[in-house]
Amino acid sequence: MTLFTRSDCSLCNQLKAQFDLAALHVNVEELDKGGAASLAHLAWHSLVEDARKSLPLLVLDDSSTISDFNEINAMLAARAGRVPDAMRKGSGAECATGTCSISV
Amino acid sequence: MGVIMPLKQGKNPGNHFIKDDSTDIALFVRTTGEDITGWDRHRIVSALLRETLIDRDTAERISLDIEKTVKNGAIKTITGPLIREMVNSKLLELGLEDARRMHTRLGVPLYDVEQLLIQHNKENANVPHGPEATNLTLAEGIKKEYALLQVFSDDVADAHLKGDLHLHDLGFVDRPYCSGQSLEYIKKFGLNLPHALSMAKPAQHADVLLAHMVKFAAALQSHFAGAIGWDAVNLFYAPYLEDMSDRQVKQLAQMMIYEFSQQAVARGGQAIFSDINIYWEVPKHFVGVPAIGPGGEYTGKTYGDYEKQAQRFAWALFEVYREGDAAGRPFFFPKPLVHITEKLFQTEGHEEFLDLICAVAAEKGNTYFVFDRGDTAKISECCRLSFKLEQSDLDDAREPWKMRYSALQNITVNLPRIAYRAEGDDTRLFALLTEQLELTVKGHEQKRNFIQKLLDMGENGPLSMLAMKLDGQTYLRMHRVSHLVGMTGLNEMVKAHTGEELHDSDAALRFGLKVIAHMNLVCNRLSESSGLKLVLEQTPAESTAYRFAKLDLAHYPDQAKMMLQGNLDSGEVYYSNSTLYNVGAPMGPISRVEKEGLFHPLIEAGSITHIWLGEHQPDARALADFVVKTFRFTMNDQIAFSPEFTSCLACGRTSRGLAESCPYCDSSHVDGITRITGYFTKVSSWNKGKLGELKDRYRNRFNQ
Repeated sequence: MTLFTRSDCSLCNQLKAQFDLAALHVNVEELDKGGAASLAHLAWHSLVEDARKSLPLLVLDDSSTISDFNEINAMLAARAGRVPDAMRKGSGAECATGTCSISV
Repeated sequence: MGVIMPLKQGKNPGNHFIKDDSTDIALFVRTTGEDITGWDRHRIVSALLRETLIDRDTAERISLDIEKTVKNGAIKTITGPLIREMVNSKLLELGLEDARRMHTRLGVPLYDVEQLLIQHNKENANVPHGPEATNLTLAEGIKKEYALLQVFSDDVADAHLKGDLHLHDLGFVDRPYCSGQSLEYIKKFGLNLPHALSMAKPAQHADVLLAHMVKFAAALQSHFAGAIGWDAVNLFYAPYLEDMSDRQVKQLAQMMIYEFSQQAVARGGQAIFSDINIYWEVPKHFVGVPAIGPGGEYTGKTYGDYEKQAQRFAWALFEVYREGDAAGRPFFFPKPLVHITEKLFQTEGHEEFLDLICAVAAEKGNTYFVFDRGDTAKISECCRLSFKLEQSDLDDAREPWKMRYSALQNITVNLPRIAYRAEGDDTRLFALLTEQLELTVKGHEQKRNFIQKLLDMGENGPLSMLAMKLDGQTYLRMHRVSHLVGMTGLNEMVKAHTGEELHDSDAALRFGLKVIAHMNLVCNRLSESSGLKLVLEQTPAESTAYRFAKLDLAHYPDQAKMMLQGNLDSGEVYYSNSTLYNVGAPMGPISRVEKEGLFHPLIEAGSITHIWLGEHQPDARALADFVVKTFRFTMNDQIAFSPEFTSCLACGRTSRGLAESCPYCDSSHVDGITRITGYFTKVSSWNKGKLGELKDRYRNRFNQ
């Protein structure tokens, strides 16, 4: 699985703090630091337009994608074998602070 | 022999802009005999002091030397150009290279003029062969030289000449590249152009509006190098159609298409490269906008109220496209670009409309399918260029006459050459690519400065039409222009660097994506540092793909021979356009649309995938399914289907497919018609590179 994030994205950082992503075999791509390779990886999964709307994005092993924050949270919690933290209200795409999208 | 007299003394030697009346230069011609009567060496001194920065003593010395040579020599006819060349030679002898450059003469060798007068220039297949076109070519030749000497710095000009970069439309250096606008401008302000001999009030009738539109488009084409696009044409016509019968609307549609398509003959030069954007639904950003109707007055309704009228016109336009011209050939212009949006599928009648536009695509090939997913809105034009509307543009939509956009210049990077120079080293490849992009920005800045100077001359300058301020802003809104960064030969770059073409493996495709991602990121960074809006565009590369291939054969023969496409023996060589896959790769249409579409979100200013049909005529319903799936399941920006035709010049009939002779009358006096890069044209007007590509194209079939 790949989690597309930005280093200054508050929702992304929430997930990074909440889960040991490496232990869950989740590859983290920081789009603002990964340069062309990360952006190309995003394009490979046809997710550039989605990332322009919101981050984080989780690509599963079958190449399907989850863009809703609460669903990503639930998926990672299930993988970690625990109950997810309190769900955020609303659609799950709001970014209270930080930059939860890309501008390429 | 005619001799052009020396130029008048300028009033402001430091200013290279507007000093002498250029009409004088063209008109004051004298005839010399076999003596040197009228010789005045001071004219040499005057010219040197006016045009260069050398001192008077040196200028005097040079003039005396030239006079001596002339008097002692056996020259029978002294001409202005000859004297100038002699002076230039003297400047070189004295080591005054800068002065020689400033004093240089732009012109065309006698032999070249003769060739151009007789032979068809195929740099742009959209230009016919005739006296007016020859004027255009000759003038372009001189402006190209001027651009490379005066507008662009040596490093940028050299990069172009060597083939590292391609500065597009150098022969039109004093114009922006292309424009997209709204009919609302002429609906509101009438046809009121600077220096026009008459001024027309806003049109009262649809046919008059059409006349204004065509004339304005022709005037715009004289001020832009490339395409003239019109946004939501069927919608903006709608307020004029309410009292018209279906027959009258069809007649109007027919007039519009014929008027634009026949401009090539009327103008002699390049046809108006016209694009009309068409919507079946009323785009969200126009729904609540007050509509302008006859006489430039608000009708009291919004455009949301005109959906049915707009649909009537869209339908009529495509009926005309489906019929083709009098010989059943597809119309070359105006290109119809239909926007496929989520709202389209929620609008009544969309199935029937999709069937109609897909029937046109299958039978004639005209339809371009532009995909606006989510909240995306754009104006499309040229071969694949699009201007994505930002929030400020959507705000402008409330006053749609403000919606006018331009790309100021297009500069394309020769990607295969970068791979040749990198010699397999990844780091070097990306460093060289960055270096070329930085040079591209420098070129854009220089072109922008030049255009800004011309624009600043206002109503008395050469760009007075673009400087007009009928709505308080100059027609060319410099704060909104974009600067295009193109690419040619990604496929061959990847092949040279990885050993595989894009279609060969996922690894090759991923590497291609990384290259374009790098270009995207560097352009963003350079946009911030330069303050220019730099955006990637798939270069149409009608002549660039051929030019780069030829130059690489000359400069990197060992590598280029292995990488380029086409036929080395016949000289029909080319690189694949932009990020397109090898046109000859045996790929199904779904795979091509899907894989090429992966690049499109990284290329903000427009992309397209071509599906070459050859003589095959697919079922319209199959194409409609394909279009819907492309919209739903890929990221592809735009697709077009390209059938091929044979037009018989003997019996006048048109047949499907490219044939050596007419299937009706067996005459071999035939010409092919198909899409060259982003528009239909006659194959006889194609350059050698594109002819090579045509032979290689893999034609797709759709299951019936």
